[in-house]
Amino acid sequence: MVVPKFIRNKFFTWVDSRIPQDGATELRQRNIYILPTRYGWLMLVILILILVASTNYQNNMGFMAGFILLAIGMLSTFYTYRNVRELKLRVLKPEPVFVDQEARFLIQIDNSGEQLRSTIGIGTQKKQVIYFDIPAKGKAMEYIPIKAVRRGVLLPKRFVCTSIYPFGIFQVWSWFKTQQPCLVYPKPIACPEILHMSSIGEEEGVVSQKGTEDFYALREYQTGDPIKQLMWKAYARERGLLTKEFEDKVGEHSLLTWQSVAHYEKELAISYLTDALLQAERAQQFYGLELPHKKINKGSGDQHLHHCLEALALMP
Amino acid sequence: MNTKQLHIYRPGIIPMLIIVQAIVLVPLWFYMPLWISLSTIALLIAKYLTYRFQIKIPYWVIVLLVLASLAGVYLQFRTISGREAGIGLISLMYAFKLLEAKNYRDAALILFISFFILVTSFLFSETIWMGLYLMLAMVAILMGIIALNSLHGIQGLKNIGKLSGVALLQALPIMILLFFLFPRLPGPLWAMPSDSEAGTGISDSMNPGDIGALHTFDDIAFRVDFVTKAPSNSQMYWRGLVFSEFDGFTWREGERSPLRQVEQVVSQPEYQYKVQLEPHKNRWIFGLEDVVTPPNGVFLFNDHTWRRPQKVNQRFLYQAQSYKIDYSSYKLSDWQKEQNLKLPDASNEKTKKWAIEQYATVQSAQDFISLILNTIRQQPYRYTLTPEILEQEIIDGFWLGTREGFCEHYSSAFVFIMRAAGIPARVVTGYQGGEYNPYGDYYIVRQSDAHAWTEVWLEGEGWRRVDPTAAIHPSRVDVSLQNQVGARDDWFGEFGKESGLQLPTGLLQKLSLRWDALQSFWNETLMGYDQDAQHDWLSKLGIKHSQWRYLGYALLITILLSGLVFGLWILSKSRNRDTVEISYIRLLNKLKAQGFNIRMNEGPYDISSRLEQESPELYAASKPLFEQYIRLRYQKNYPSKVAIQHFKQSVSAFKL
Repeated sequence: MVVPKFIRNKFFTWVDSRIPQDGATELRQRNIYILPTRYGWLMLVILILILVASTNYQNNMGFMAGFILLAIGMLSTFYTYRNVRELKLRVLKPEPVFVDQEARFLIQIDNSGEQLRSTIGIGTQKKQVIYFDIPAKGKAMEYIPIKAVRRGVLLPKRFVCTSIYPFGIFQVWSWFKTQQPCLVYPKPIACPEILHMSSIGEEEGVVSQKGTEDFYALREYQTGDPIKQLMWKAYARERGLLTKEFEDKVGEHSLLTWQSVAHYEKELAISYLTDALLQAERAQQFYGLELPHKKINKGSGDQHLHHCLEALALMP
Repeated sequence: MNTKQLHIYRPGIIPMLIIVQAIVLVPLWFYMPLWISLSTIALLIAKYLTYRFQIKIPYWVIVLLVLASLAGVYLQFRTISGREAGIGLISLMYAFKLLEAKNYRDAALILFISFFILVTSFLFSETIWMGLYLMLAMVAILMGIIALNSLHGIQGLKNIGKLSGVALLQALPIMILLFFLFPRLPGPLWAMPSDSEAGTGISDSMNPGDIGALHTFDDIAFRVDFVTKAPSNSQMYWRGLVFSEFDGFTWREGERSPLRQVEQVVSQPEYQYKVQLEPHKNRWIFGLEDVVTPPNGVFLFNDHTWRRPQKVNQRFLYQAQSYKIDYSSYKLSDWQKEQNLKLPDASNEKTKKWAIEQYATVQSAQDFISLILNTIRQQPYRYTLTPEILEQEIIDGFWLGTREGFCEHYSSAFVFIMRAAGIPARVVTGYQGGEYNPYGDYYIVRQSDAHAWTEVWLEGEGWRRVDPTAAIHPSRVDVSLQNQVGARDDWFGEFGKESGLQLPTGLLQKLSLRWDALQSFWNETLMGYDQDAQHDWLSKLGIKHSQWRYLGYALLITILLSGLVFGLWILSKSRNRDTVEISYIRLLNKLKAQGFNIRMNEGPYDISSRLEQESPELYAASKPLFEQYIRLRYQKNYPSKVAIQHFKQSVSAFKL
């Protein structure tokens, strides 16, 4: 069905005004919507057919069947409504993902009622939901996967929680929001040329010029050498602490700068840097990132990688 | 709506659809042409096999089969519209749809169409059994729909059954209100299609000779409820058709015309009665003699029979009266006299000759009637339902030859003899007698009560009813028939003796009469509910004008009210009734109102200890409450009502 855009916008402005803004959404009258499904309309057509045929053939049994159907149709609104009422929905903070991966918004649904809530669907829109059950007095966790297309912040406008159970003739649904966006890292693309790392801003205690890829030489241990690069066999033979030196193909320097990729198209450049960061982390290097608007000092580890990637993701 | 997860290849969904279809189609199998019934059964089996062994039927095969069955329906009925053909066609298509069903949409379509198919079978039968079957089938279809719409499919069948049963029970009160309030229209909306099925009961002609065995059925022809008194059983002659033309083999209705003006009715009606006529697919309806004023929408003919403009395809309810009319001043017109004297030339000459000889021995027509009846009584005339077949000269063969037969033989021979002697006479068919049902105070007239008798025109008296069959000596009635329970015995009681009402005695008989009383109620009050009945009770409520408007109001109020009542009821059932929890949440809200932030991961103990640090005042006030709550929740014994009540009150009293 095509609804003019301004009407749709108006409608969703109204809807949004009814969605609680804080973390948890409880489904109640105020924010539960209900409409017949296409099978509801089908049932209405069949009901009318039955009543017309019953009138024509003066068939009272037909009337009985028709009115039972009508009554069940009416009651169905309540049955379906009952299935979602007083559910509490909470969106947990999603893990960051890379572009082209699926952002997974974990939803926790609490059912404080005495009845099992069967076949509850959640998703980004009514046509795209995942169904699951919520036990009585229990809770369920379910992901809403959204494919990340652009780097930066992914904050879906609204999620939907819906149900057509038990008869499939009415669909109830409610929208809910999250305040916790998913961070989308840029897509890593390997750079065709070796990125020259600048050694400006080199700090003490950091292995800077050496890489980790190919074995190069042995030298005396210096404080701060990565523990993996120690020559443990030599140490066992009491030859003192030796450090294996490697030559890194990426380059001598571990500070990744915007300069080195500035001649590429912007998004591509960001992707190259992303890939370089990942490689540096994989190689257990110490690395830093220098962007036009932000500089991140050298370091390593998941937290550090996240900071770097975040800076790239949020690059204006 | 998204239905990907609700596909029909979940375990059990397809067998469930097959079972629902079978339940819905079962009643139709008894009424549809055999090949259609067998085809639908075959399609259901085929579906099961393709499901079980994962066979895929090529699409073109299904298309071919559909086309073939379409052609079959057309060849059978010569049309594809109309009631019978339509039902045959829709049943076949319904079964084909399942054969090619592959997704949620197909399954939902099948299940919802099931409701319609179910209703079509009520066009054939509206008995109490069908009413019960309606409920059963409804539950089955609803269960199917729930299974289709549930992630678990048919798992938890018991639950699904319970849910459907409860839904049906909750729907019943609304259904009953709607049933009585929904405005009813008088007639059909479009012309009733003609029925290909032959009528039941008595037919529009009579061939006494060619019936080797008369099969009697205990099917009910109609039920009669006398408003005041009832005639004795032996006087209960239910007039249906009058045969005045005879060609030597077959009796038929002669030329007749509807009476515009009804004879002057001087007296009060002698009997008043209500009839529930079972559909017999013919136009005639039955009335107690003397038949005069026809019920609404029925015509009176000059042979004093009633005829409806349409066939009786549904149970027909009517009210009628019978009068005693003095016909002494009536004259038979010349053509009527001729019509009722006419005999085929050169046919049954022996009987003709015999009749003329006998007539010469008596003084009057009246004496002649007595003579013939006495002949039947004294000569070895036997009553049997399996007489010898007569091929020609059937009257001669019976009257002077075999001397055995049933009412048709006796009445046709009697009329033949009367006519041969120059006395106008005719054959009347209908039903005789009826079984009294003390539990419902009405009479049941069965197909086995079908009867043929005669009327003889006597100058100065009019048409007199003579029942020659009743003249047979009881000793010459087939033993098997003598023992039959029912009205047939009454004919052979003492000639002319009034047989009194005999109440049945056996337990089985009592039960069956009670059952019939229930059926009568079902037929008259529920299945017979129509516009007249609806206007009737509205009038009793004092609503005589704009009844439609009032019905509309009532209907609207019903729907709104029932919606409201059921809504509140259903919703209240799932409301949280945990008083402790509710009070605890109130307490937290009160703390929140004081500006104390409560985190989601905090239990009562955490909150309390944080309060101790952050807000000693609040802590002091709320400490006993938290302690109470922890005790209520975590103590070993189930908390007493008093303790819960105390907690509730303390929370209410909590203030700062």
